[in-house]
Amino acid sequence: MASVSVIEAGRPVLGRRSLLRTWRGGLQGSEFAWALAFCIPYVAVFLAFVAYPIVYGLWLGHNPALYAELWQDPIFQMTVVNTIIYLAVGVNVKMFFALLLSGFFMRRGWWVKGLLMIYVLPWAVPALPTFISIHWMLNSQWGLLNNVLWDVFHIDGPGWLDTSRWMALGAVIVSYIWKNMPFWTVILLAGRMSIPQELYEAAEVDGATGLRRFAHISFPLLANLYLVCTLLSTIFTLGDFNTVTFVSGGGPALTTHVLATIGIRDAFDIARPDLGVAAVMTALPLMIPLVLILMRKLRTSEVQL
Amino acid sequence: MKVPTRRSVLRGAAAAVAAGTLVRPYVANAAAGTATVWWTQGFVPEEDAAFRSIVAEYQKASGNTIDYSLVPFAPLMQKIISAITSGDVPDLISHDVADQAIVPQNAWNDKIVDVSDIVEAQKSEYHPTAYLASQYYNNVKKQRSFYFIPYKTAVVPFHIWIPLVEKAGYKLADAPKTWDAFFDFFKPVQKKLRDQGMRSLYSMGLQLTTTGPADGNNLFHAFLIANGGNGIVTKDGKPHLDDPQVKEAVVKSLTYLADAFKGGYVPPGALSWNDADDNNAFHSKLMVMDFDGTISTEVALYHDKAEYNAIATLGLPARNDGGPNAAQLGVGGGFIPTGAKNVEVAKEFMKFVIQPKVMNSYLKEGLGRWLPAYPSLVKSDPFWLDPSDPHRPNYVREGLIDQTVVNYPVFNPGYAEVNATQIWGSAEADVIRNGLTPEQAADKAFKKIETILAKYPIVQS
Amino acid sequence: MSAVLLDNRRSRHAAATGVKAKNYRLRRVWSEVGCLALAAVLIVWTLAPIYNMVMVALQSHNDVFTNDIWPRQPSLYSFWIVITEGYWYLEYFWHQFGNSLYIGVMTVFFTLFIASLVSFSVSRMRLRNGWLLTNAALLTYVIPASFLAIPLYRIMQGYGLGNNVWSIIAVEVTFATPYAIFIFQQYGRSIPIELDEAARVDGASPWQVYYKIYLPMMAPALVAVGTYALLLAWNEYLYQFLLLSDKRSMTVPVALAQFLNSDESPWNYMMATAIIYAIPPVVIYYLFRGRMTSGLTMGGVKG
Repeated sequence: MASVSVIEAGRPVLGRRSLLRTWRGGLQGSEFAWALAFCIPYVAVFLAFVAYPIVYGLWLGHNPALYAELWQDPIFQMTVVNTIIYLAVGVNVKMFFALLLSGFFMRRGWWVKGLLMIYVLPWAVPALPTFISIHWMLNSQWGLLNNVLWDVFHIDGPGWLDTSRWMALGAVIVSYIWKNMPFWTVILLAGRMSIPQELYEAAEVDGATGLRRFAHISFPLLANLYLVCTLLSTIFTLGDFNTVTFVSGGGPALTTHVLATIGIRDAFDIARPDLGVAAVMTALPLMIPLVLILMRKLRTSEVQL
Repeated sequence: MKVPTRRSVLRGAAAAVAAGTLVRPYVANAAAGTATVWWTQGFVPEEDAAFRSIVAEYQKASGNTIDYSLVPFAPLMQKIISAITSGDVPDLISHDVADQAIVPQNAWNDKIVDVSDIVEAQKSEYHPTAYLASQYYNNVKKQRSFYFIPYKTAVVPFHIWIPLVEKAGYKLADAPKTWDAFFDFFKPVQKKLRDQGMRSLYSMGLQLTTTGPADGNNLFHAFLIANGGNGIVTKDGKPHLDDPQVKEAVVKSLTYLADAFKGGYVPPGALSWNDADDNNAFHSKLMVMDFDGTISTEVALYHDKAEYNAIATLGLPARNDGGPNAAQLGVGGGFIPTGAKNVEVAKEFMKFVIQPKVMNSYLKEGLGRWLPAYPSLVKSDPFWLDPSDPHRPNYVREGLIDQTVVNYPVFNPGYAEVNATQIWGSAEADVIRNGLTPEQAADKAFKKIETILAKYPIVQS
Repeated sequence: MSAVLLDNRRSRHAAATGVKAKNYRLRRVWSEVGCLALAAVLIVWTLAPIYNMVMVALQSHNDVFTNDIWPRQPSLYSFWIVITEGYWYLEYFWHQFGNSLYIGVMTVFFTLFIASLVSFSVSRMRLRNGWLLTNAALLTYVIPASFLAIPLYRIMQGYGLGNNVWSIIAVEVTFATPYAIFIFQQYGRSIPIELDEAARVDGASPWQVYYKIYLPMMAPALVAVGTYALLLAWNEYLYQFLLLSDKRSMTVPVALAQFLNSDESPWNYMMATAIIYAIPPVVIYYLFRGRMTSGLTMGGVKG
């Protein structure tokens, strides 16, 4: 098999499968040992910091009475609803806008590039201070938002985080989108940039522009990536502790908690670690299918063009 | 570069894993003279400096070493819970609300070392309420014993901005001397100040919150006691929720608090305040009056004399029925979890701390935010009742001279869970936000409390 | 093919005259206006919380609670206090900052090292049933990070890592690695396997193939994942809060949280601290931005 020139090696992968198919399957003895050795560090990390804690966690939360106690608590029921809304609305709205904005950022022009640089700032700046900043912005007495509303529009802004559960939850979701949308926009943008220009040009010749171009070319090719990103984002969001904690604090009156935060609250504020673990374990019936689907998606080979 | 052979890589990887599994976890404190101590970080730097100096004194006098960590209030609570759950505990712990939140349940489960010898040795010195607060019920041994070594106490006084009251044209000295009327005094103050253009000013900072851990419960209990409901849990650990006097007190308290909020006299954010938020709001002059534990509100402004002197610290007005009021005494102390590796040094250190001279100098250096556990000290040392300080005398009187009662979790650990789950805060929220009547909210709260307390039946031997 | 297409297109546009051209120009103007409007919205949306942070940092303590939307008397005093550790919560600020940096760098190093080894072994050397390992890695995400806090606390004590920054590094590496493996595998598909084969034929050991061929070609993906891992560690709060309690082993987020629990907090100092803490990841992100995009583009992230 002749070696491939470096230039050709740099092209995006198209039609690699034929070559991969001819790769010798199975490893000889010494190579096998090398391959194993390379895997040992991660296996050690996995066993020590994933397998053992999960098993210990399952053991801590194995008492069925805990779950009965949880489900009877109206706060917990509200928490489950909040979590579902947070995931369904937060993740999907965020990904949708990320998709749209990734299209926007494909435009040429130095000012678009400059805008992208600013746009990514929320992701780069650490979570804790920005969420606290948002919490203060939404303070009904001296927060920036209500000050602006008063000074500019002479409207007495409502108590964003104090009055109603839905407003507070909305504020949390908006903060979440604010922080995380840039990351996924960049990922989708990268995905778009890997679509060859020829396809778009061919489509333009056929008279497809704008929306139709999106529907027939961009979207089908991005679909798989979009799905994988949504799955990953759902998984990450389910464990998101910082947003709810620092923006709404679970308030008003414990009505905007999500599973991640109620678990910590039960474990540490009420001194019932077993209850806390049980609270987070209730997310398993949702998590396991998600991860299984993700695994399948990642196993299949790349999208055919 | 030396080419690593396959063999060497494998060997290296295997060795790393093997080494990892053989690492001795947490070098045991084999040396007889070192104790690990977790102590709450103070709210002002002087408190930490004071602690450091008594540790230095102890180490010099005894030759033992104290390996201490000064951890802030909230993270320390979490560390303690994690440590006790996992079994890997330090030798001595002191947390500011341990008497209400940690010691009751853990003494119940026999997870704390008995310290009767230490407490009894100072029995004559201890304030009777503090002495009572050191005894908890152990459900494994089925009896009460001493599990907690008090060294400081605190109560909840009122904090009022004198300039704001005077700006509204009132005098603080005219404030009524009974409970509800005292609170009502501040309502017209708000109206007058709003008329003068102070858009965001509220009269009282009532902590109607379900975050905490302490303020919301302190507030409600103060109202409860002022309305005659102190018998909700008695010394034998039994709840008295069906006592009509208790029920009436609960309903009256809920009614007053909810009406104050709905009347716009309380900042709306109070529904989510944590223990620090009301202090910050008070400092920013969002409200005229705050009801908050210790004099940390004033002490935080110690270095700004103008502000320091502009706040008035007042003790409790009389009960609504005219009878003398009693403050709930919070008791701070140390406890030793079972499984501690060096119980001896821990005990020695606490014995040192509760010597009158040491206790006095430690708390004095901490700017007097906490009161001693020995009444004799406030009588013998002029610092405590020094009339030139605008805050300490009233605070000391409320805590160590006037009548006080113990916090309910001391009697029954179930009540610690009641506090932690913020049942009273939820009841207030029910009336304010969910449209329940105070009677309905009271019934709901009672049901919850009954369920919790039923898990902790106390069989007094 | 492209050249012909372009010619066709140009000639079509040249043929478009009169009304068609005017419509086209009008559409373009609207679309430009729309874009500018969108850009304005994006700028306000993105910068509002950050503006608030900066504004609070520039105000004096008492002005924080006023109703201003501009800082009345902006001053850099807060920043000076932070830099000189002039406030008791900030006593060990630089030490804690160093801890955060150390954790970040170590997290990046170990994540890249461990994940690239696994990805090399599984996709390049084609370890039989290697997919088991990479799929098992995804199990890490079945129980999200904050859920494992309680078991991990106990376990870290058991490993002797209590109050030790290495416990945080271990946690961050654990949570960054599966995603890293995913990116590496995707990106690695664009590197022809023939390079490896050629090297083996020339007598290179697998380690040399990994070190001399795989890693250099993976450079953009390494940068992308490294930045991701750094930001993950930098954004982390819960574990640092639970596992680090001593002022000397704490990190900046934990120190920041102290401000939230105090009776008298100079919010301006807190925000100044936060801004200084935010500088490294922002700088690193902007330095490596170009390589990050190429790391995610090349053959990778196609799903």
